[in-house]
Amino acid sequence: MPEVRPTATLRALRDAGVDFIVVGGLAAVLNGAPINTFDVDVVHSRDAANIDRLLAVLDALGTSLKPSMFHLASSGHLNLVTRHGPLDLLGTIGRDLGYRDLLAHSIELDVADGLRIRVLDLETLIAVKEELGGDKDRAVLPILRRTLEEKRKL
Amino acid sequence: MEPAAPDDLSELTDYSPDGVDLTLIRWMLSLTPAERLVTHENYLNDILAIRERNARS
Repeated sequence: MPEVRPTATLRALRDAGVDFIVVGGLAAVLNGAPINTFDVDVVHSRDAANIDRLLAVLDALGTSLKPSMFHLASSGHLNLVTRHGPLDLLGTIGRDLGYRDLLAHSIELDVADGLRIRVLDLETLIAVKEELGGDKDRAVLPILRRTLEEKRKL
Repeated sequence: MEPAAPDDLSELTDYSPDGVDLTLIRWMLSLTPAERLVTHENYLNDILAIRERNARS
């Protein structure tokens, strides 16, 4: 039976020393929003050394496609499938926001035993989805906004 | 004889004006990020298992 293991994907990236920030639906879930998504979306640092580490771990993850350094250095999006499930590598999100731009808008969360990762904060996630304005992004905005409201009451 | 349905369910439901289930959000927020990830992962794999079971029938 096929299985998706986002935790295993995140652990592999972290253990390989890859600098990344979880964004998208999984970031929403980790921030407490009750939504579902099958893929792991991350914005990776496009520094040359980080891309080297990323290439090595993608090989270990057995990705369906083999991106090159050129692909990973671009601002575009790569939709890959690993042995642990779908993994989207995003050079930038929103209005050309890359890893360094998003770092100050991320929080470090403990998501499993010995696994701390950076996750985009809910405020920025909402702002990015508002900017994108596509149907898919608009559909989830009410849940994200209400989650932020409830979170602020805690 | 079944009991009559109560007219007022407000104590048992909590939706925002735009229809979002706030009870579900509060439940998710009661979990730690690690618990959210485990719950999410289990849910996804349950869905995949159901899909596969029905694809064979």
